[in-house]
Amino acid sequence: MTTSANTPLFHRLQVLLFAVVILAVWEGACRVLHISSLILPTPSEIAGKLVSLSVSGVIWPHLWATLVEIFSGFLLGVGAGLVSGALVSLVPVVERLVYPYLVALQTLPKVAIAPLFIIWFGYGLFSKVVVTALVCFFPILVSVVAGFHATDKDQLDMMKAFGATKWQTLVRLRIPSALVLIFAGLEIAAVLAVIGAIVGEFVGAQVGLGYLIVTLNFNLDVPGVFAVLIYLSMIGLILHGAMRFAARRYIFWIRRSDAAVMV
Amino acid sequence: MSKVLERLLGDPPSGRDVAAAPATSPLIEIVDLEKRFKTRSGEVVTALSNVALNIQEHEFISVVGPSGCGKTTLLRILAGLEQASSGVVRCGGESVSGPRPDVSVVFQQATLLPWDTVMTNVMLPVHLKGDKSAAAAARAERLLAFMGLKDFAQKYPFELSGGMQQRVSICRALMRDPRILLMDEPFGALDAMTREAMNIELMRIWVEERKTVIFITHSIPEAVLLGDRVIVMSPRPGRVSEIVDVDIERPRNLQTMSSPRFGELCGHIRTVFGAESAMGHSL
Repeated sequence: MTTSANTPLFHRLQVLLFAVVILAVWEGACRVLHISSLILPTPSEIAGKLVSLSVSGVIWPHLWATLVEIFSGFLLGVGAGLVSGALVSLVPVVERLVYPYLVALQTLPKVAIAPLFIIWFGYGLFSKVVVTALVCFFPILVSVVAGFHATDKDQLDMMKAFGATKWQTLVRLRIPSALVLIFAGLEIAAVLAVIGAIVGEFVGAQVGLGYLIVTLNFNLDVPGVFAVLIYLSMIGLILHGAMRFAARRYIFWIRRSDAAVMV
Repeated sequence: MSKVLERLLGDPPSGRDVAAAPATSPLIEIVDLEKRFKTRSGEVVTALSNVALNIQEHEFISVVGPSGCGKTTLLRILAGLEQASSGVVRCGGESVSGPRPDVSVVFQQATLLPWDTVMTNVMLPVHLKGDKSAAAAARAERLLAFMGLKDFAQKYPFELSGGMQQRVSICRALMRDPRILLMDEPFGALDAMTREAMNIELMRIWVEERKTVIFITHSIPEAVLLGDRVIVMSPRPGRVSEIVDVDIERPRNLQTMSSPRFGELCGHIRTVFGAESAMGHSL
């Protein structure tokens, strides 16, 4: 089940070595070709900036604000997505009346609404939380609905033949089988949550990593921008890894290669 | 159109057979069963027509027929998963209107719940009835041991081979001690060797547990090896073309399959199939 653990150490070293080679070529090319750090800073400059941002403490309030936005938005969006997905799947009236509109709304680029949220909810944290929640909401909704639809027909027959009630069928069969797609949705939402928070901050904020990027960019501190990007990708990787870990634990019966993961 | 053809061809032979059935009241009684489906385009398809059958308690009935002859539909109606369009289906004197506690089904796929252990899967039917007693757990353990799965109780279905999964599914079906076991090509997905082993195992269960079994298959040798009687069905609309008594002594084993009588019976059933398809061509 855990392919990475079975892979020989040698393969991992190869991957690491590949990264070292890429960084070395990058560094060398910048130096030899005299590329301005305003256009493409060298890895060493970025590393230096990364250390100075962290040591001076400049980054922490921004990091904290963005993390709060990501986590609250993710939880809010996932919660709302799970509840509405369950309602759409299990209450026929809701499916008939509401689902077409939800699908229509899904085609709207959510980030385009971000400026409106600034007007409605202000420049503070809350407007970013709402944008984040909104971008997380749809993949969860869709995966819950798809998950409930994906219940195996033969297994439904089996439950019926054994005289299971609707409630028993839901708990013993439909919810566990929906989990497979729900976890795929969670992986997507985890990545989108970072995007949501940053876009929200781009539109208007006084704090946060997105705000920091805009400020550094304005000051032509390109190595600084790269350093913040590294922080952002770390957050994304950790979130995604956490979802992967949870999936492996809670939907252990699915082999990793079978899981519908689209990120 | 099909009605007219049937009249031209006369009554199916099953009619005579029912009349000759013994006078003791049968466990399962099917009279004039018909099942029609409406397709998406609104066309009405007759899956089963004029099916009549009496099955005695403890009988092992094999049902063979080409694909699309409605044998699975017949089983689904008996299981209460589908309703007959017309006709009577009685089980122990009561007409079948839905799933019954004294009827268990083994499906073509093992349909085990992949997130539950073998033990939990086998316990499912009694859990659904709210019975979590130690006695039930003991029965599940006995069944698993009987099927050679003693050491696999705490494994998950994906850790088991196809044959083992189907054995678990049979344990699950036996768990609530049904009078009738309905089996829909349960070994169809298994390789030939496993399939033969499963046939022997099934005969052992049938002797031990004294169930009434209705076993659907598309393998003629399998039908003859297992059944007291073989119901031969014709393609659309599904009708009973012939009921063949298997007069081969029990206990039977894989050697039975090389006996001359076995070959004769298989050959005879093949002829029935041949006659049906030839008729289909001339029509």
